[in-house]
Amino acid sequence: MSRGPAFSAMPPPRNMWDAINPMRLLGELSETRYWMYLLLLPSALLITAIVLFPTIYGFQLSFTEMRLNRPAGNGALVGFKHYARMLGDPIFWLALRNTAVWVTFSILIEFLVGLGAALALNRNLPGTKILAVLILIPYFLPNVVAGNMWGLMLDSRVGVVNDLLVRVGLLAEYKAWFADPNTAMATAIFVEAWHSFPFFTLLIMAGLKGIPTDLYKAADIDGAGAFAQLRLITLPMLRTIIAAAIILRVIGLVNSPDLLLILTQGGPGRSTQVLSLYAFQNAYSDFNFGYAGALSTVMFVLLMLFAWAYIRLSKVNQD
Amino acid sequence: MAQTRSSSNLIWNIVSYAVLIFLAVLSVGPLLWMLLTSFKVEDDIVTRTMVYFPTRFTFEWYTKLWTQSGYPVLVINSLVTTAMTVAICLFTGTIASYAFSRFNFPGRTPLMLGYLVVRMFPAVLMIIPLFIVMRNLGLFDTSIGLAVAYTSFLLPLFVWMLKGFFDAAPKELESAARIDGSTRIGAMFRIVIPIARNGLVATCVFVAIAAWNEYLFALMLTSSTGSRTWPVGLQLMVGEFQLPWGMLAAGGIISIIPVIVLFALVQRVMVAGITAGAVKG
Repeated sequence: MSRGPAFSAMPPPRNMWDAINPMRLLGELSETRYWMYLLLLPSALLITAIVLFPTIYGFQLSFTEMRLNRPAGNGALVGFKHYARMLGDPIFWLALRNTAVWVTFSILIEFLVGLGAALALNRNLPGTKILAVLILIPYFLPNVVAGNMWGLMLDSRVGVVNDLLVRVGLLAEYKAWFADPNTAMATAIFVEAWHSFPFFTLLIMAGLKGIPTDLYKAADIDGAGAFAQLRLITLPMLRTIIAAAIILRVIGLVNSPDLLLILTQGGPGRSTQVLSLYAFQNAYSDFNFGYAGALSTVMFVLLMLFAWAYIRLSKVNQD
Repeated sequence: MAQTRSSSNLIWNIVSYAVLIFLAVLSVGPLLWMLLTSFKVEDDIVTRTMVYFPTRFTFEWYTKLWTQSGYPVLVINSLVTTAMTVAICLFTGTIASYAFSRFNFPGRTPLMLGYLVVRMFPAVLMIIPLFIVMRNLGLFDTSIGLAVAYTSFLLPLFVWMLKGFFDAAPKELESAARIDGSTRIGAMFRIVIPIARNGLVATCVFVAIAAWNEYLFALMLTSSTGSRTWPVGLQLMVGEFQLPWGMLAAGGIISIIPVIVLFALVQRVMVAGITAGAVKG
């Protein structure tokens, strides 16, 4: 009986034209055992061609000499030369440290603000639907616009943030936030957190909907306060979704130099130089593809180690 | 007891409103400031005393941007690239997502994980080889080359997001169609895809916004106005002129109008999707 429909779905061709009708042939093909593989084939081929192949090529580049502005000797295998250079490159170590600061503090702020917004929205108070829409807007804005908009507002001569801070007395005079090595990183982290906190809000809101309300009712009867409920019910129930959100954000923050490229280009000095930006500049400005490849390979390996360790840790905690 | 609970409830309601209003102002305030700046005259932008309520307004920055900086070409290039990206995702991703959602087959789990893991690959690691490959294939500095490059991180996202919507579509109608003699491909196109069309629209919009906004790949893979997209062009303006804030603001406003419109659309579709899911569950 269960096999019946599969056969009745393939009536024999009615005439000559029907026998070569592509629609009928596709229909027939869709009844074969290999149909799902055929459905997957186009995307799998595409991903192999534009993700896997370039990645492997990138690994290979990290062992070769490849400078587009110096054609002589291009493509020669140089073994671990680029990696050896990296170990002795102070900028690499600085960029590694800056990456850790950039990622840690951005995520910390994004998580806390995102969690606060999600908890507030989850109370479903009247009038907060429209606020939810407004709060999600930054996440959809292009880096180029978000960066330049804050560049305008934080400018040392025409910046409105400076004006407001001076007016309320928090600042004595206008400040060049991105020109001072002491404030450049913190300011960039602020802009990044502004841009991406809605990501946490979105995911945590979805997670909150899945927590049974009975748990809170029981806690209420037991006399547990709001903070106790947050610590004992909400956060443990959200653990998986928070872990997933953090992993995705770490990947995003480590991999994309866009915002720093727009805001500071790694400066002043090298106070906001991060690994992805350093790798990109080596390729884009210096055309040193071999070294850039080695830098991104190291980045990739570090990310994989992080993701693996993080998944392991959150699994161990669950037991 | 009830007294203290309702009073603490009231306090938390006030805190919630305060947090949400503060965040909403912080989220939208900068946009409004950029909008205001785009209509200000130069003297009101670069000034000793900040002008919060300008008395003079101008369209100068918009007309200048549109007629003098080649912005229309950049916008058209971005539209072409975005449309191509969505088309590639739609043609290759929809069927893949359907296969993951409806069939159990050897290799399903590792393949799905594979589609997830490729998103972890650093953009910088792929950008360099892609640059070399595109140059050798003659796809460097073309819209189609850029669209294909965007597919590298947007196709896996598309497949995963759409799978969620396919999973939510009831399987009973599909089985009924099959019993009535429909082929698998017929059931897919006539039953499942129409049911999941809101999700399909939302997923396409997500991919479109991401492609429209993208900066890094566009910077590396385009070199002329033949294919350069607006984010790269806008950022170039920062270097070309002495910080033309009015023009930058006007460019920013023009470029995010499609994003805001699409975002509004996605909001509605997503809410509809969530409500439908709630009704079903």
